Amino acid sequence: MILDLLQLTAALYLASGLTAWLGLVLEARRTARAAVFLLAGGALVHTASFAAFHLEATPPPLTDLPAAVSVMAWVAVIFVLGFLRSERLGALVGLVAPVAFVGTFFGALRLPHSAAAPLVGAASSWPHLHVLLASTGLALLGVAGVAGTLFLYVDRSLKLRRRMRPRWPSLEALDRMNRVALALGFLLLTLGVATGMLWVESESGRPWTGTAHETWSALAWAVYAALVVARFGGHQQGRRAAVLAVAGFAFLFFAVIGVSLLA
Amino acid sequence: MLGLNHRTAPVEARERFAVADPAPLLAKLVTTDEIDEAVLISTCNRVEVVALTRRPDAARLRLRSFFRRELGGDEIAASEDGRVLDGMLYELHDANAMRHVLRVASSIDSMVVGEPQILGQMKEAYRAAREADACGAILTRLFQCAFATAKRVRRETRIAERPVSVARVAVDLARQIFEDLSEKSALLIGAGEMVEIALEALRREGLSDVCVANRTRAHAAELAERFGATAHGLEEIPTLLPRVDVVLSCIGGDAPLLTAPQVETAMRERSNPLFVIDIGVPRNVDPAVNRLDGVYLYDLDDLSEAASANANERRRETVRAEAIVLEEQQRFDGWLTALKAVPTIRDLKSRAESIRLGELEKSLGRLGLDETQREGVEALTRAIVNKLLHAPVSRLRGQAEREDGFGYLEAARALFDLDDPSAEAGADEKTVGDKTAAPPALKDDE
Repeated sequence: MILDLLQLTAALYLASGLTAWLGLVLEARRTARAAVFLLAGGALVHTASFAAFHLEATPPPLTDLPAAVSVMAWVAVIFVLGFLRSERLGALVGLVAPVAFVGTFFGALRLPHSAAAPLVGAASSWPHLHVLLASTGLALLGVAGVAGTLFLYVDRSLKLRRRMRPRWPSLEALDRMNRVALALGFLLLTLGVATGMLWVESESGRPWTGTAHETWSALAWAVYAALVVARFGGHQQGRRAAVLAVAGFAFLFFAVIGVSLLA
Repeated sequence: MLGLNHRTAPVEARERFAVADPAPLLAKLVTTDEIDEAVLISTCNRVEVVALTRRPDAARLRLRSFFRRELGGDEIAASEDGRVLDGMLYELHDANAMRHVLRVASSIDSMVVGEPQILGQMKEAYRAAREADACGAILTRLFQCAFATAKRVRRETRIAERPVSVARVAVDLARQIFEDLSEKSALLIGAGEMVEIALEALRREGLSDVCVANRTRAHAAELAERFGATAHGLEEIPTLLPRVDVVLSCIGGDAPLLTAPQVETAMRERSNPLFVIDIGVPRNVDPAVNRLDGVYLYDLDDLSEAASANANERRRETVRAEAIVLEEQQRFDGWLTALKAVPTIRDLKSRAESIRLGELEKSLGRLGLDETQREGVEALTRAIVNKLLHAPVSRLRGQAEREDGFGYLEAARALFDLDDPSAEAGADEKTVGDKTAAPPALKDDE
């Protein structure tokens, strides 16, 4: 059941991404709008898959990497859908939907989970709280990175006087999305790190055991803290803020996901 | 269709023919024998009369006289060689005229291809014709078809999507930088015509906070007063720069008015991007300004190049638009051809009804039925006739839309003796089911 729903979600995200690019290339408004509806449909089915998680007799844990990645994809999609007030922001669907597809497909591919991961409803609730907060934070920082990437593309096109498709989001909207996603993402990531430490403490009696995951996560958090201070403390905006958002997310992705996969 | 447009007549001539209120002229035009229906389209780029007539030669003369006398072309005809007016006028007939109406509504024939005003102007022309009672079933259908075609062209092609004027291109670029222009402020440097045009375009986009700076402050004040902006001297530019989002400059002078260090200093005091439009010749803004982070500089050449590329793209889109026009024209043609079936269908129904009534009258007298029974028999016979006629009538309507559908109409008229006025009386004498009453055409076929 969960697998079926995740596969359907992945299919809808893929269809949304392809439709969004088709709409961009053909400059067809209806097609672009259809991509948003497909993305929203995917998010609905994705939500249903999480509900199904908890209806299972032995629910798969969120602490498993595929499930965590699936949560990240879901959060990113919900955030972007919430931001889609302007029609021109629809171009973001073309970037977010394929990423969400990869995340959900990866989740569907790797489920059922590894037997080693703790189950939902286990004695401690820290693991799941940690994964939920950290995944949400990571997803939002990912959205900030995507908005930053698109900002850099539009900025460069304007500087070089390249002709652009009219449906790219405005620099101002991309910068605003970057700012909101960065602020919320950092807050949730901080809470994710704190709950992670509480989880480790509940298991080993110490908040820090010195694993590679812990070290890289702490380092990534410190890098992000520096970015947030630079952005909000130094009133940094525009191109520089976009470059830092992209670089910061690339580092964080490696630190959290890359290190977990390598381990 | 008779008319003149931007390709055949200069603006002075077009002005002379332009009509503010066409309704009284149309009312007069359709009272003549030559013209059955008419619509007068009058815009700054064209004056055209679309007319429906059963007497084409007489109508042609009448419309030419309409242009000379009622629309004021006499002055041109009299003041210059009479052939000048004839040279300005063009004439289109039947399918070409229909296609022209559809092309005009779709803005394919406009001076600026894809401009949106023409559709509104045609709707206004159609409304005036309806008001004058000059627009009957056929022109109504033609204009509705033209409006639907224009909508399709706009929906299915990119003929109107890209801006083709320098001012619109600048606004379009500003929208790529800023999400909502109504919240933004602008600084306009200069007080000439170009600045005025730009000011109008920015105002249309909802920009409320606009400053005008000029060497002669009085000129800036004059322009500012007209558009509800504030006037400043050039020396105030450094203090204005940090608080505006768009700068448009078009002022004379050899040295650049805005230098990179000057803009860089202003950018340190602000956090939003700055869009600089330099339409001055020689340029008013140092090109190095474009290298600054968050500053986007476009000069006249950049904007003109974009406008020209957009115009080319619109022209390329006309190929797709023409295909839509052709498709809609064929649909209209089909409807028009189907109208030919109307008299035959009407005659056929009338013949059937007269037979039914005749037979009913004969039979009811003999049967001595009460009122309820009579009504029952009436309903029964009506139902039989309707059911019998349903298939041939549908077939006649369907076939009439085809080019070779005329044969069906002829066959129907022969089979049912519709062209023989005595047949109706004769038919009364025959009884239903009488094999001798079969039409000769059927016998020939057998």
